[in-house]
Amino acid sequence: MKAFAVAVICAVAIGIAASYVLSTSQRYAWQAFSTSSARVSHPGTNLVGPRWTGDVKGPHDEVAGETTAPKRS
Amino acid sequence: MARMKFLCDADRCIECNACVTACKNEHEVPWGINRRRVVTLNDGKPGERSVSMACMHCTDAPCASVCPVNCFYTTADAVVLHSKDLCIGCGYCFYACPFGAPQYPRVGNFGSRGKMDKCTYCAGGPEPDLSTIEYEKYGSNRLAEGKLPLCAEMCSTKALLAGDGEMIAQIYKERVIKRGYGSGAWGWKTAYRETVAI
Amino acid sequence: MRRGRTLIRTFVAAAMLAGVAGAGAGPALAQTAPPTTAPTTAPNPTAESVNEDLLFKQAPTIGGRISIPDQKAANLIQPQGREWRGFHETWMPWIGAAAILGMVVLLALFYFTRGRIRLEHSEESGRKILRFNGFERFTHWMTATCFIILALSGLNYIFGKRLLMPVIGPDAFATLSQWAKYAHVYLAWPFMLGIIFMFVVWLKDNIPNRIDVAWIKAGGGIIGDKHPHAERFNAGQKVVFWMVAGFGAAMSVTGLVMLFPFAATDINGMQVMQGIHSLIGVAFIAAILAHIYIGSLGMEGAYDAMGSGKVDLAWARVHHDLWVEKEQARTASGPQLRAHQAPAE
Repeated sequence: MKAFAVAVICAVAIGIAASYVLSTSQRYAWQAFSTSSARVSHPGTNLVGPRWTGDVKGPHDEVAGETTAPKRS
Repeated sequence: MARMKFLCDADRCIECNACVTACKNEHEVPWGINRRRVVTLNDGKPGERSVSMACMHCTDAPCASVCPVNCFYTTADAVVLHSKDLCIGCGYCFYACPFGAPQYPRVGNFGSRGKMDKCTYCAGGPEPDLSTIEYEKYGSNRLAEGKLPLCAEMCSTKALLAGDGEMIAQIYKERVIKRGYGSGAWGWKTAYRETVAI
Repeated sequence: MRRGRTLIRTFVAAAMLAGVAGAGAGPALAQTAPPTTAPTTAPNPTAESVNEDLLFKQAPTIGGRISIPDQKAANLIQPQGREWRGFHETWMPWIGAAAILGMVVLLALFYFTRGRIRLEHSEESGRKILRFNGFERFTHWMTATCFIILALSGLNYIFGKRLLMPVIGPDAFATLSQWAKYAHVYLAWPFMLGIIFMFVVWLKDNIPNRIDVAWIKAGGGIIGDKHPHAERFNAGQKVVFWMVAGFGAAMSVTGLVMLFPFAATDINGMQVMQGIHSLIGVAFIAAILAHIYIGSLGMEGAYDAMGSGKVDLAWARVHHDLWVEKEQARTASGPQLRAHQAPAE
């Protein structure tokens, strides 16, 4: 039983660690597909609104509060 | 109701990328996300042709079929849309799509690439038409305003046609008959299981 | 090219026809001639142009050059997605259901015909022998718990929308699937680690030999009452070991290819990888169901090996006689025979 408990805790811990390690290797599309000449600022000021990525907090959210969603006619 | 389609007349497309720019601007599409793109075939050779490609809003769309959470739906205009609330970003649509239409906000590790984004045929999403929340998630909803997709409307050579499938096929047919040549409706066989018979 | 030549021929023929008509019937008829009578000297702009059908004959996908920094976008049409969809949506649910339900039915049949394999009592009953030490049990359970989560979240990709979604509704199902996807992607790492650990720890006891041949010939003692000789692992367990090692490696490789898209293959490669991943996945699940059955319900006394690590000596003597002899010879004083020995953890 002790081995089982340790195993479950270890599995969860490794899983969480993996999620952190993997997220460091991950880049936003606007970072990956921009060239040196492209000055992409925070994609909350000049690109789509804060809800676009949906699930994960990114650099978007720092500036999200300041920008208002573009109003459509 | 109309059966909305895209048709790119490759003999007219001059790879000006106005459609791409129009799309990006209209929907405030983030950098690195390409709802529409222009691919040049045989670049630099005598037979060079450019084709503007986006989601073709397929008949019996593969993306909708493979989605494990059924987040896709087809509107009355036969436009294939999806719900970003339901999307889990698994990438199955990206495997199934013959046109490389699904785009993700992050690259690398597939597990957390975020919600899929693709061409909406300027028809928004499942949220109420022309609402702010719809705009934030899917871009503008021109269809609800009675307008056609901006990419096609902006096209300087009218190479990119959008609208009811039969009507744009008719326009293309007339063009081909008048000028005597045409390289066909690119992607139609794959997307709609039919081509423009001339 | 062929098309261009045909077109030129058509133009020539049309021009000749128009000329004949003009000479015979006068200007009225000439005016109704179709507007395709372009001058034949004009260059045909499509003579060398690319053509979808021709390109598909040359290669399975159509690609070109693109000016955006994402080179993957240069693929224009890749119709293989439809084949993958056909496999994934029409074949896979049936294959998966057949594999898993088939195994459940087989196990049920076995249970109701053969029944539970009972513990055979002897004078050694009640005494315990350490079968799996703490690390072995740890690595087994880490892999096992991860496997169960991976299996359920993996099956969710195939059966979730068909079975679960109508029950709990799309929103709850999407949230559940989101978490299942994270679990699938991240618990794959402790799973892969566990597979490696198990492979290293148990490899030396799982090399096939002559005893296994005899064991298989005797039917493993499952059918009938005779128990063939077995070392630490009998041939059946060795099959499970190599199955887990092989399937685990295959699942890891195909999974990693999908986890890092475009790192190893293009989109068509990932479609194939997904197909292999799902096929092996359901086979793996079916095989592990049998493993779970024989390790718990199917055989009395077997669960203790992974539960507490210590098994009844009578059980060990019956099922792993050669191993017991070796263990007892190794520690002649027999410390492992004591009833209350703490496992080395």
